[in-house]
Amino acid sequence: MAKWGMVIDLDKCTGCQACTTACTMENNRLPGENWQDVLFYHEGTYPNVKLMWFPRPCMHCENASCVSVCPTKATYKDPDGGFVLMDYNKCIGCKYCQVACPYGVRFYVDERAIVQPDIRGVFPSDTDRVWDPPYKGPHDDPARGIGIQPHGVVSKCTFCYHKVSKAPKGVPDLDEDIPALKEYVPACVRVCPPKARFFGDLDQPNSRVNRLIADNRGVRLKDHTGNKPQVYYLSGGATASVPSLRSSRASGQA
Amino acid sequence: MSVTTKQVGIMLLALTGLLVTGWLVFDSLSTHGHAAFNTDNLGIFWGFPIVIYDYFLLTSTGLAMVATMAILFGGDDFRPIIRRAVWLALAGLLGGVAVLMLELGHPLRALWAIPFSFAFSSPLYWKVMAVSFYVLSLLILLARMLKPDWSMADLRANAVVTLVLALSVTAIAGVVYGSQSFRPFWASGDIPVAFIFESLLGGLAFIIFFSYLAYAFNPAAVPASVKRLFDDRLTGLLALAIFIHLLFVVARMSSGLYGNVEGLQVWRHVATSPLFLAEVFLGLLLPLVLLTYPGTRIRPWAQIIAALLVMNALLIARYEYIIGGQLVPLFKGAWAPDLLSYMPSPTEWLLLLIAVFLSNFVNAFGEVTLKLGREGSAHP
Repeated sequence: MAKWGMVIDLDKCTGCQACTTACTMENNRLPGENWQDVLFYHEGTYPNVKLMWFPRPCMHCENASCVSVCPTKATYKDPDGGFVLMDYNKCIGCKYCQVACPYGVRFYVDERAIVQPDIRGVFPSDTDRVWDPPYKGPHDDPARGIGIQPHGVVSKCTFCYHKVSKAPKGVPDLDEDIPALKEYVPACVRVCPPKARFFGDLDQPNSRVNRLIADNRGVRLKDHTGNKPQVYYLSGGATASVPSLRSSRASGQA
Repeated sequence: MSVTTKQVGIMLLALTGLLVTGWLVFDSLSTHGHAAFNTDNLGIFWGFPIVIYDYFLLTSTGLAMVATMAILFGGDDFRPIIRRAVWLALAGLLGGVAVLMLELGHPLRALWAIPFSFAFSSPLYWKVMAVSFYVLSLLILLARMLKPDWSMADLRANAVVTLVLALSVTAIAGVVYGSQSFRPFWASGDIPVAFIFESLLGGLAFIIFFSYLAYAFNPAAVPASVKRLFDDRLTGLLALAIFIHLLFVVARMSSGLYGNVEGLQVWRHVATSPLFLAEVFLGLLLPLVLLTYPGTRIRPWAQIIAALLVMNALLIARYEYIIGGQLVPLFKGAWAPDLLSYMPSPTEWLLLLIAVFLSNFVNAFGEVTLKLGREGSAHP
């Protein structure tokens, strides 16, 4: 069984947000409620300002705190692939997983819209779904958190389960440059213009993702929480970097 | 006007308030859904409704602790407040759970999804299971106290079970927050213990306030046994509980202000907020003075004011703690401020009124129908 993981090379990431856009389209996300996002930070004050950006999907942790705190087992670790998924049919909307996720990658969208105008009012749904956009992805699997989010539940990135799970068994890497595999590549990986993202099986020692992690000293975000993310970052100290802080307190702006 | 007539008046007033606020909340939630709340995906996931729920839950367990410890260790002096404390614990819990149901995305699904999930790794699973058994235990205790000749000696086994469950619910409620290691404002091993003392403090304040309310705040109508209990025992215990709670507050604030861990900067915001200052100076220190100064500690007005101030201080404490732990945004980028801001929406304030009116209605109903001040047999 595979344990899918992602490697993001921060030296290559240009912060173009193509990954965010692709994820939004693929998964019918509401504006601002981005499962995958590129976060922008700035440090310092004018004229000594440094702008940084940081791509951040769900980490699909090996030891996910969101999974352990869920009181209904609505969020779970898929044993075949290592995905952290949501079962919309079991979620009660208590939001404990949101509170317990150190990476801020879970979304309860029944509240005030982050981005105005509220597009839910433009494309209202007659069903239990939050909205009814004119374009909808063909995949709908509420037991795995795939499809348009219903009311009253928390959602999250699925690592594009609907694509990855159909990949041929035993494939070490899902590379968009291999024509036979490109349909199985997660949307954010497939569209990345500078090819900063790589997706593969962390349980296969010879997979490209494992080689990248080993050769470039891949790090995991907030590893001290014990969540053991399956997303690794590579950084040689160029523009993009893993932010050490969640706020700009150290830069004297707090 | 008799005390019972005034109790009926309180009950009708609470019912009217419940119906009005209930209608307003129903209208708001059916129109806007949870968009009527000021919570969002930037970081304030648990807002004022969760504050209200936990406040009423911990008040309930505190009252249960007071009642059961009175049965086990208090002796006959505590007899006048035991039935009232048990009933009030149920009334308070009902108010809190009602608000929780309005906050959850799928409240009805929660009724079956949690018990049958067997999610043993989740503190919330254990909390819900503990609350379920706690309610059952309270109901059994109450049912046995409804007999005119109820005896404290007969209730010891029930009291032990209820006390253990009340302590468990409170401690697990603390674990829900205290275990979040990446939220330093919340995370601490002593949170479950702090919750237990806060809960006990709330229980003492509520039983004093609602005992006076049962007699329409007329000191002349308060039975001598109740007044003696307040003057000799409960005010002293309340003062001690305030002092212990203050120690926890000062200890956490000191660590927070001196600590350099990312997330503890919230303490600088909290410690200078008017709400926090009101909590400490008006809600804790002033009652402490009122309850320890010989000239005021036996005065009914001082006891009522002290209890009322403590009740409000604990609500502020719950608010500052739950909201404070979420003020640092997690990976939201520069477009989220260093510290998030949050104010309850009008609908969220109405939820507080729903809890207050519902609890007061149930409590007054019990006072009128069950005669909660009935003491039972002193010597079985």
